Amino acid sequence: MGKKNSSKSNPVWNFITSVKLAVFLLLTLAVTSIIGTVIPQGEPLQRYLEHYGPAFFKVIKALHLYDTYNSWWFLTLLGLFALNLIACTIRRIPFTIKLWKRDSLALDLDRLMRFRLKKQWKVAGKPNPHILEKIKDVFQKEAGSVTAQKELESGQIFMVERGKWSYWGLYGLHASILIVLVGAVIGSLTGFKGNLMLPEGEAADHVLDRKSGQPQPLGFSIRCDKFTVSFYDTGAPKEFRSDVTILENGKEILKTPLRVNAPLTYKGITFYQASYQPMPEAQIRLISPDGKETRVTLPAFQKVPVPDLRLVLGLYQYLPDVHGVPAVRVWIEDGSSPARTIWVLKGNAKEFSSGSNTYRVSLVDVRNKYMTGLQVKKDPGVWIVWLGFFLMIAGFVVVFWVPHRRIYLWVGEQGGKAAVVLAGQSNKNKIHFEKDFEKVAEAIEKSLEE
Amino acid sequence: MTSSYLLSWTTFVYLGAAALYLIHWVFRVQKVGLLATLTTAAGLLLQTAGIIMRWVESYKLGYGHAPLSNLYESLVFFSWLTIVVYLIIEWKIKQRVIGAFATPFASLAMAYASFSPRVEDTIQPLIPALQSNWLIAHVITCFLGYASFAVACGLGIMYLIRPQAGSSGVMAVLPEHRVLDDLMHQTIIFGFLWLTIGIITGAVWANQAWGTYWSWDPKETWSLITWFVYATALHARFIRGWKGKKIAILSIVGFVSVMFTYFGVNFLLSGLHSYGSG
Ligand code: HEM
Repeated sequence: MGKKNSSKSNPVWNFITSVKLAVFLLLTLAVTSIIGTVIPQGEPLQRYLEHYGPAFFKVIKALHLYDTYNSWWFLTLLGLFALNLIACTIRRIPFTIKLWKRDSLALDLDRLMRFRLKKQWKVAGKPNPHILEKIKDVFQKEAGSVTAQKELESGQIFMVERGKWSYWGLYGLHASILIVLVGAVIGSLTGFKGNLMLPEGEAADHVLDRKSGQPQPLGFSIRCDKFTVSFYDTGAPKEFRSDVTILENGKEILKTPLRVNAPLTYKGITFYQASYQPMPEAQIRLISPDGKETRVTLPAFQKVPVPDLRLVLGLYQYLPDVHGVPAVRVWIEDGSSPARTIWVLKGNAKEFSSGSNTYRVSLVDVRNKYMTGLQVKKDPGVWIVWLGFFLMIAGFVVVFWVPHRRIYLWVGEQGGKAAVVLAGQSNKNKIHFEKDFEKVAEAIEKSLEE
Repeated sequence: MTSSYLLSWTTFVYLGAAALYLIHWVFRVQKVGLLATLTTAAGLLLQTAGIIMRWVESYKLGYGHAPLSNLYESLVFFSWLTIVVYLIIEWKIKQRVIGAFATPFASLAMAYASFSPRVEDTIQPLIPALQSNWLIAHVITCFLGYASFAVACGLGIMYLIRPQAGSSGVMAVLPEHRVLDDLMHQTIIFGFLWLTIGIITGAVWANQAWGTYWSWDPKETWSLITWFVYATALHARFIRGWKGKKIAILSIVGFVSVMFTYFGVNFLLSGLHSYGSG
């Protein structure tokens, strides 16, 4: 490969373009990738100190082993790997061009006779156009249309050449790896990932970016109309489903269900069903000492002030079935004594006192609402990654299974007699090629006997 | 009779075949060789029937799915594929010695699947994340890769224990280094293509289910490590002096990495691919 080219024989270039460096980098990437599977990634730093002790913690911190795959040294390795791949490819191009441009017909009878795979026949009588046409027809029928031909002093030579372009397959394969990397970089620079917890009936027009924590506007709104979860009889979950509506300027644009493995993409932003949380809402009734009745609605995760009674209430816990009835644990704060909780079962009023007053509290109704957990993602690079993947598979198939094959037919005169030579060459899949070659040879032999 | 019962029997059929291949190899009895092949084929039929039965059973239970969804089912499939890949090679090169190295892998996988208390063999319904056609494509392609690598590992071991040409003895019956090297290269290429497609289908599936095609979870990372090792093996051929022996070692190291990706990650590390641990 380009040994004679003195401008490129400097040691640095040789090193950067060497397969040796590629092997070294591949093995190093393999070994260093292990680290991040053994040390848990992305925990708070404090945890590492507690778990590994101060000495090893220093190493973890210096080498970013808490986030190995984004650490400077790992990214450097990946960068070197990409550089090696690019350089290696550049260095190879002239060599491949030479291979590709090489005239497969630049040979004569002597060369053909030295092919490992060849057959020759003598034919009675002088060569004549009739025989020539006949053999050529048989040849074309078995081997495919002739791609090139030329006149030699001694006769004529025909060639069927296939798959010369396959020399470029290796470039497709190696480029595909770079394309995947480029797609990944574009995705991480221009996209975002976020989580969205959306209670039934509510809408959101932005999400919190998972990395920066900053609000990320969507450019439209998404509303969760309904969430349902179903289970198999074994208790394992069967389906999570959110029915959502996309809204633009308050107008409903699109209504669709969202399930695991069936995400929704709208304007480049994709929503995935990820999790859910029950979000009960309880209605309770309080009866004051003077007999006055107060109804309070307690949604989940919210404190509800009741100014008339100078109380702040909350829904602390909800159990759908306690001895056959629903039960809620109500959180009570009255400003004087510390906050406390009491359990109230449906149909079973409880009493509590605040200051000098005693209240009767009962559960009127409790409705279980849900909050759906969506993952939200924008990744403009993903199509580049898919393209890279496609090219990788195609390139691989070309590199290993598309051969450059040539079959030559020479028809001419040898020692005053008509003669025929068949020769062939393939750079891969030789056994298969030999079989095809035999078929052509047999057909020619048969036609000569006629 | 249930499918698990039927499948547990294949363990012994493959074990028997392994013994026959070994006898054929060590004592060079031609007829035993044929018997070994027939036994392996019978085992494959039995196993195929077992897999189909399991598929049918899952539909009878009301949550029908292809039997490729948990550790037990993947082990059965791995063993099945190893035998298929091996039989193709036997048929192509008309040599039976390799059988003594390939059938034990299949038998071992079945023994582990059927008799280890850590492997749950009941048919379970698919949780939402696993309800995807990409899962089927992912498992089949990964395991085509794994099975080829199992065979390549067997070939690597044969390469290392075979003495130089010209010597005699039991080991000298093994195919020549040149033949082994070529076969090893071919199987690694085949496995590498499937592993590549396996990683790709996994990425597409993850992107559909979770919104990230790559999250460096331990199972993903280990499959990438495996991929790097075999990529090394493919390129090492182009370095002068890196033929045969070093590739044989890489082929074995690669398979250790495959095994770790498959089991080690489930039992020793934690991550998304919780198959087997639950
Ligand atoms: C993980 C990434 C890589 C993959 C999957 C890959 C894949 C391949 C494959 C399948 C072949 C064909 C092997 C054969 O014909 O037996 C090949 C050849 C080659 N690769 Fe890579 N490659 C990778 C990285 C690299 C890198 C970083 C370099 C940089 C030096 C490189 C340099 C070469 C060269 C020079 C050849 C051809 C050797 C020849 O035919 O003369 N590869 N690669």
